[in-house]
Amino acid sequence: MRTLAWVLACALPLAAADNSLLIRGATVHTVSGADIAGGSVLVVDGKIAEVGVKVAAPKGVRIVDAKGLHVYPGLIDSGTQMGLAEVGSVRETSDVSEIGDFNPQLRAIIAINPASEHIPVARANGITSVVSTPAGGVLSGQAALVHLDGWTWEEMEIRRSAAMVLHFPFIETGGGRRSSESRRNVPFPEAKRIYDKKLADLRGFFESARRYRQAKLAALAGFRTDVKFEAMIPVLEGKLPVAIVAERERTIREALQFAEKEKIRMILAEPREAGKLASEIKARNVPVILGPTLAAPLNEDDPYDAAYTLPAELDRAGVKFALGTFANAFSRNLPYNAAQAVAYGLPHEAGLKAITLNAAEIWGVGDQYGSIDKGKWADLMVTDGDPLEVRTQVKQVFIHGREIGLDNKHLRLYQQHTKRP
Amino acid sequence: MKHAILLLSLFLPAAGADPPPLAIRNARVVTVSGPILKKATVVVKDGLIAAVGENVDVPEDAWVIEGQGLTVYPGLIDALSNWGIPEAAAPAAAPAGGRTSTTPRPAPSATPDPSAPPPARGPEDRPSNTSWQRAADLVKPTDRRLEAARSAGFTTAVSFPMTGIFAGQGAVINLAGEKAQQMVVASPVGQYLAFPAGFGFGGGGGFPGSLMGVFAYIRQMNIDADYYRQTRLEYEKRPAGARRPEYDRASEGWLESPRILLPATRAMEIDRVLRLAAELKKPAVVYGAHEGYKAADLLKKAGAPVLVSLNWPERSRDADPDQPESLRVLELRDKAPSTPAALAKAGVKFAFYTDKIERPRDALRAVRRAIDAGLSVDDAVRALTLAAAEIYGVAGQIGSIEAGKIANLLVTSGDLFQEKTQVKFVLIDGVKFEPAPETPPAEEVAR
Amino acid sequence: MKTPLILSLALAMAAFAAPPVVIQNARVLTVTKGAFQGSVLIRDGKIVEAGEKVMVPPGATIIDAAGQYLMPGIIDAHTHIASESTNESSISVSSMARIEDAINPEDISIYRALAGGVTTAHVLHGSANSIGGTTAVFKMRWSKDAAGLVFEGARPGLKFALGENPKRSGSGASPSRTTPRYPATRMGIEDVIRQAFVEAKQYQQAWRDYQAKVKGGVQATPPRSDLKLEPIVEVLEGKRMTHVHAYRADEILMMLRLAEELGFKIHSFEHGLEGYKVAKEIVAHGAGVTTFSDWWAYKMEAIDAIPYNAALMMRKGVLVSLNSDDLNANLSTRLNTEAAKTMKYGGLNETEALALITINPARQLEIDKRVGSIEPGKDADLVIYDKHPLSSFARVQKVFIDGEMYFDRDRDVSGRAERELRKKALTDRQKEREKEQKKSFPTRRPS
Repeated sequence: MRTLAWVLACALPLAAADNSLLIRGATVHTVSGADIAGGSVLVVDGKIAEVGVKVAAPKGVRIVDAKGLHVYPGLIDSGTQMGLAEVGSVRETSDVSEIGDFNPQLRAIIAINPASEHIPVARANGITSVVSTPAGGVLSGQAALVHLDGWTWEEMEIRRSAAMVLHFPFIETGGGRRSSESRRNVPFPEAKRIYDKKLADLRGFFESARRYRQAKLAALAGFRTDVKFEAMIPVLEGKLPVAIVAERERTIREALQFAEKEKIRMILAEPREAGKLASEIKARNVPVILGPTLAAPLNEDDPYDAAYTLPAELDRAGVKFALGTFANAFSRNLPYNAAQAVAYGLPHEAGLKAITLNAAEIWGVGDQYGSIDKGKWADLMVTDGDPLEVRTQVKQVFIHGREIGLDNKHLRLYQQHTKRP
Repeated sequence: MKHAILLLSLFLPAAGADPPPLAIRNARVVTVSGPILKKATVVVKDGLIAAVGENVDVPEDAWVIEGQGLTVYPGLIDALSNWGIPEAAAPAAAPAGGRTSTTPRPAPSATPDPSAPPPARGPEDRPSNTSWQRAADLVKPTDRRLEAARSAGFTTAVSFPMTGIFAGQGAVINLAGEKAQQMVVASPVGQYLAFPAGFGFGGGGGFPGSLMGVFAYIRQMNIDADYYRQTRLEYEKRPAGARRPEYDRASEGWLESPRILLPATRAMEIDRVLRLAAELKKPAVVYGAHEGYKAADLLKKAGAPVLVSLNWPERSRDADPDQPESLRVLELRDKAPSTPAALAKAGVKFAFYTDKIERPRDALRAVRRAIDAGLSVDDAVRALTLAAAEIYGVAGQIGSIEAGKIANLLVTSGDLFQEKTQVKFVLIDGVKFEPAPETPPAEEVAR
Repeated sequence: MKTPLILSLALAMAAFAAPPVVIQNARVLTVTKGAFQGSVLIRDGKIVEAGEKVMVPPGATIIDAAGQYLMPGIIDAHTHIASESTNESSISVSSMARIEDAINPEDISIYRALAGGVTTAHVLHGSANSIGGTTAVFKMRWSKDAAGLVFEGARPGLKFALGENPKRSGSGASPSRTTPRYPATRMGIEDVIRQAFVEAKQYQQAWRDYQAKVKGGVQATPPRSDLKLEPIVEVLEGKRMTHVHAYRADEILMMLRLAEELGFKIHSFEHGLEGYKVAKEIVAHGAGVTTFSDWWAYKMEAIDAIPYNAALMMRKGVLVSLNSDDLNANLSTRLNTEAAKTMKYGGLNETEALALITINPARQLEIDKRVGSIEPGKDADLVIYDKHPLSSFARVQKVFIDGEMYFDRDRDVSGRAERELRKKALTDRQKEREKEQKKSFPTRRPS
């Protein structure tokens, strides 16, 4: 081990670059393997070059002394509208929901505002990348996996198209819950008719897209490009997963059946009643993006901790899942969503994985991100404790090996007003 | 329909002329006020019960009905109804007089729709208030629902206007009459209150827009009416040199209400309205009361009578079959029919009302569920007859089979709550009505 | 009004009969008197003794809390749970609305808040009106009726609201509203509040004049009681507390100056997200602020909200608390970790962080003689956590109010299966009824 590091250090004379460094003396939480006490992480050209107890410093490399501190992979928030929405109540600041039911061609990536105030705020708590998702209609568009760093959205990009987002239709009778009490109650038969039509439209859309693809492959005479169907080709070819949003048990079941029938790669997103179907989800090997654990139960009779225990339930069934906050302003609380799950039965390492390695794997970049392993990109954070504990402070954040300042609007206002006489 | 009317006209008294006496002989008589008479005679004369008993002389000119195998009950009373008010929808609530506030009206920043009435600014605008309106003035003998009601054994209803928060004054009415005036037994017998407001989150209407607002309104109305009464009295004593108080029909209506009817389904709502009633110092009757099985002691303590809705809660036919239902709701549906038994056990006075049950006959089926849940048959009959009369203070006139009372009678082929039992006829003010053949409502046919 | 008294008496008597309770071997976080490893003795619903060694009286119930943490019950200074009305949004001054009228003691959120260690909550209606209505303090005595929830003797409040919410109805942003409601600006909000107070002062004067006349033996007509103005007069007379929903620094300052001009005290700003910008002015007035840990950016007026707000204001001398603002219990189940955020953002110590959800809200609501810390003589409102309550991994184990255990996690978890069974049985019975319904109400053909 030591020899190899030495060899590497000698071989790479890039030490002066701002994306090379050696963090040493820390407890290194690799996530993929065991924790390394008093460990070091060598980063060269933005990538992790070495991890271990004794890693020699290449000449001239920046050394970060992290004695008594902890190194973790940067956190990944698997559900946000980062860069797409700024102020909740101000419509003009939102680019989340487009008009129309079928818009697979829409791409979140190109609407991400790199100057959003939410980005530095989330980053300051160790969130280094997020999935930014559109939400309008049925086929909402393509979610992007981005770094919380970059002058432009191009520079932020990890996967410009991480998944197709599908808000699965469900039977909306309205009523029942407080928020919707004022809404008209739709009789079940009518709601079912509306739903059946929506589902038929969805199936029809997939069918048309499939025919389009065949026509294109066969180079049929009179073939004309269709932007919407074009966007569906990667989905039909299994190259692009479909993140299917389904909250309740019945919707989840129907979404699972739909995915099987259409032979698409499914990611189940924001399920609330997934516990009842855990074994079915596992059997189909569908990964899950869970919404916030820090949430009230869905139904009056649900146990008070229903949302807290859902991750543990899925974990026991062997389902692979990652967590999303689905609220920009609370993206920084991503680790506390994992923590609440841990408090209510999820093993600690599973909680950590749900916001790091599992997320990277589900979004198709598990070979490059999500853990502290040689060869992966150095998205790292240095903390003074367990990031799942609220009291823990994030000391430093690195994206692709480059240290990102923790300055943000909140800190600035704090510092400014502390000084007010 | 035509047939029925023709038939009716045969028996209806011409103005001034009374029908001949009538006697039902050898029938089983459920007097309600006294013991059941196994084989007795009821004599009806001049629209009143002339005599009842096992050894009663039948007048010679009496029209005798052989009652062998028949049971005679007091005519059934629907204790909260709008039967007899064909256009049950009352006039639209308009802002009324009685403004006493000096609140400056804020100038609206945009031009309001001129056709829309201005939203109420507070209790002083008397929104949703027709407290002065009397059912007695709205009753019409032509209401098509009367025949179905009679056919099911009902002879009487306590009918109310039902629109708005202060809907108006109820009247005890008999369910037949040539003219509306003949139908009214007593009026006014109570003010019907409803809490129609929604959740109140940013709605566009006027005051009140929430439950809190409705309660505040009722409270202020009570204060205002009292203040109105006092200032009127003072003015009448010394009109010279004093300013004349404005006439306020809403206060007039409130003041002449001998009691108020307050809606409450759940126990916590019963608790809530009982506290309001105590605050208002008005005699109150609670209506709805499906969760009364949980609130019997509370009601007993408050001494408030109860009108139990026979429209037992069930899952809507239009409900999503997969919609999770709470234990609370499931329990309410399961136990609601046990409310009457619980009230009877606690000694709470209660009566039944049909509450939008489409076919009056189904109301009796609903009573059977209460009997299955522990209510005695005697108490069930009482809740359909005498109890209602007592609650509205008309027990001297109706509700039981006693000499001197109005001849509102129901004659059946047997026990009232047996499915196969038939209504033979009813007497209303001594006039006989035979049931029309039962026809299903249109909705049932279509299904 | 009589009911709560009777009920509290009954409660006190029940507690009297109960044996003393000793919670042993806990890490006791008193909040006001440091922390120690020891015990707490409870008798008659009160903390009698707290210390490292506490004598166990004979017959005492012993609760072993070895390895666990004991802290005072959490006080949620601003919540909307347990209420069935959010806003009386029809008018800008709706001070006649009372939250007590809309309390639902069966709201499951009460239990869930309890499961989060909340023992006392200040329940308010929403913020749609410049002057909204009255507020009240409740204990989370799940299973008691509305009167049983009342925090006996807590001073009632009046809620005001500034900024975006009260002006929204005037902006035309609410599509359901036919007529825009004044005000539409922050200028207008100040105007509405000032006018209401001017009116209230005139009203107060009218009553004073009347009382003086009566005293002097002069015949006089009393003014009409106005439920809208009375709470405002109570504010002027210091009998009612004031809670002002405010976000931005400018509106906080406006309200301070307006209150000073009109002669009343502001007890707390609700939310006060920009309170950190005018901490000095808030302290000078003597107001408190109850805020969020880290909410921001959900609307324009929350654009400068920072998670350092609580700590920064506290350091500058403001009496600060954290609240849930829950409609359905969500944050109330974990206010402990919300408090922990002030250690991360602004560097408060453990005691200061815990004070934000215990003694500080108690002081703001002026109930600190009764609750908010573990001290002899105070109510035995206590929470047992399995880990330090400021840890993300801490779970509430048991919650006591007045010495009575209202939440027990073990009991909750073990009761779930039985609950499901009960529900299943009820659902089956419902299906059975629906089947029978179909049988006894068969589809008929038109005759």
